[in-house]
Amino acid sequence: MPEPSLSQQNLREMASRWLSPSKVPGRFRVHEDTTDFFRVEYDDVVVLDGATYLIRHNAKEQRFGLEDEVKFWVKRAIDLQDGELKILKLVFYEKFLSHVGDLEFECYRSPRKEARILDLVAGHPGFMQGHAVEDTGGNLIRVLDFINGRPLSKQINGLDLDHETYFYERLPGVLNRFKEAVEAIRFLHENREKHGDIRRDHILVDREDGRYRWIDFDYNYRHRENIYGYDLFGLGNILVFLVGMGDVIVRDLATRNPDALNTLSAEDLNLVFQNRVVNLRKVYPYIPVALNRMLLHFSRGTHVFYEQTSQLVSDLSEVLEAHLPPPETAEEKGETNDEPGEDLQQEHPHCGG
Amino acid sequence: MTNREKTFNKNILIAVDESENARRAVSYVGQLLGGLEGFSVLLLHVFPEPDEDFFRTQAEKEQWMEKRRQKMESVLADYRGMLIDSGFGEDQVRTRSTMRYCPSMAECILEERGETEYSTIVVGRQGLSRSEEFLFGSISSKIVNHARNCTVWVVE
Ligand SMILES: Nc1ncnc2c1ncn2[C@@H]1O[C@H](COP(=O)(O)OP(=O)(O)O)[C@@H](O)[C@H]1O
Ligand SMILES: [Mg+2]
Repeated sequence: MPEPSLSQQNLREMASRWLSPSKVPGRFRVHEDTTDFFRVEYDDVVVLDGATYLIRHNAKEQRFGLEDEVKFWVKRAIDLQDGELKILKLVFYEKFLSHVGDLEFECYRSPRKEARILDLVAGHPGFMQGHAVEDTGGNLIRVLDFINGRPLSKQINGLDLDHETYFYERLPGVLNRFKEAVEAIRFLHENREKHGDIRRDHILVDREDGRYRWIDFDYNYRHRENIYGYDLFGLGNILVFLVGMGDVIVRDLATRNPDALNTLSAEDLNLVFQNRVVNLRKVYPYIPVALNRMLLHFSRGTHVFYEQTSQLVSDLSEVLEAHLPPPETAEEKGETNDEPGEDLQQEHPHCGG
Repeated sequence: MTNREKTFNKNILIAVDESENARRAVSYVGQLLGGLEGFSVLLLHVFPEPDEDFFRTQAEKEQWMEKRRQKMESVLADYRGMLIDSGFGEDQVRTRSTMRYCPSMAECILEERGETEYSTIVVGRQGLSRSEEFLFGSISSKIVNHARNCTVWVVE
């Protein structure tokens, strides 16, 4: 391995500004080419265009009903110049057939796409921030500001509230935030970009200001006629998840609410995922018709589709203005005041060291 | 207002890809109009320029496109043969394939039509489920909704 201009002594000095003495590695492996991302490990250093990053853990992502998936190409890292926590996304190409229910379509990852979107959304509070830089192996690495926050999925699933309390006290605030997130996607679409992988865990809820921020832009898919259809479907699924305070699963209703179960027909279920209830007003009758009508766009019984994000935004605005109680300011505080990131506590040099 | 009779020409545009339903559309036109005087058919394939994101390198992209182009040439030749076999004259059937960046295939096809050159557009239909239509959209539905000053045949 080439020993670049940075000596081991330099690196130790830089690292000890941010780590407690016991955590400063004795020797650093330095990478300028990250092609083989499995070799880039904890305590290694990656040098990119003059900047020096100390690698921490691989990122993990939750999967339904499975163990967390370790993402060996997504590394947490400390920028040794200023101590800031970063995410380095190394280059991992894949092309695969994605399945949504029984439907199949071609998906692929593109570092260039993510880099392009990072440029497009620079300064936009609805998205993660960062830039892309090539390593010496020609790999386009995305250097991302670490967002201190939990995925939206975890935040909602972690609420200890009954649905009715959630509905009156939290949902207006949640949907207000979600509306901003949909507007952020509208911004992408207006600029001819897809998000590509819209899911409830690709929104991080920023602990500082409670904002919803989109992450993970490197997926793309081959569309047929409707270029943004898959993105819109993703937004719909998040909306239903938020209104239901989690997925409402047909099977669970058998014990929780058999009366509601008896009124359900196939038309009331998700367009694609046929174990999820979309017609939530049948389960929670206080959900206003106007909001429920939005949900029904994503049901099997629908005859009308959202074709553009702007339609979703205007329907959401109307529901928020005319059909829900005004958002409580308490909600904002409540969400952001919780304990600092569980991940961060073990990881961030300022907190852990 | 008096209803002056509108004139329709006998030029027919069939928009095709490699799918089974496109083949059916060709076959339909052959069975319906083969052997009749005065008709002329254009077999049109719009080749959607793939997103550059889909490829790692420019070379990979060019290779992929060349392969697709050759494939489409042979499909178009095959369709042309079908029409000729069903009674069209050699000079009645033309083919065209063109590559474009197409956020919407339906709009691309309609733009290729020209204003009045073809009174009739023929497309196949896949028979999508609702979920497929939401996620992927339907080219034939969009053509039906957006076509102006022409007649659309949707063959299923
Ligand atoms: N900017 C960021 N701030 C904080 N965590 C992030 C950020 N970007 C990604 N992550 C974490 O890393 C995980 C994997 O990153 P992601 O971009 O989704 O990679 P992949 O494309 O492989 O799914 C995310 O689910 C999230 O937990
Ligand atoms: Mg991801």
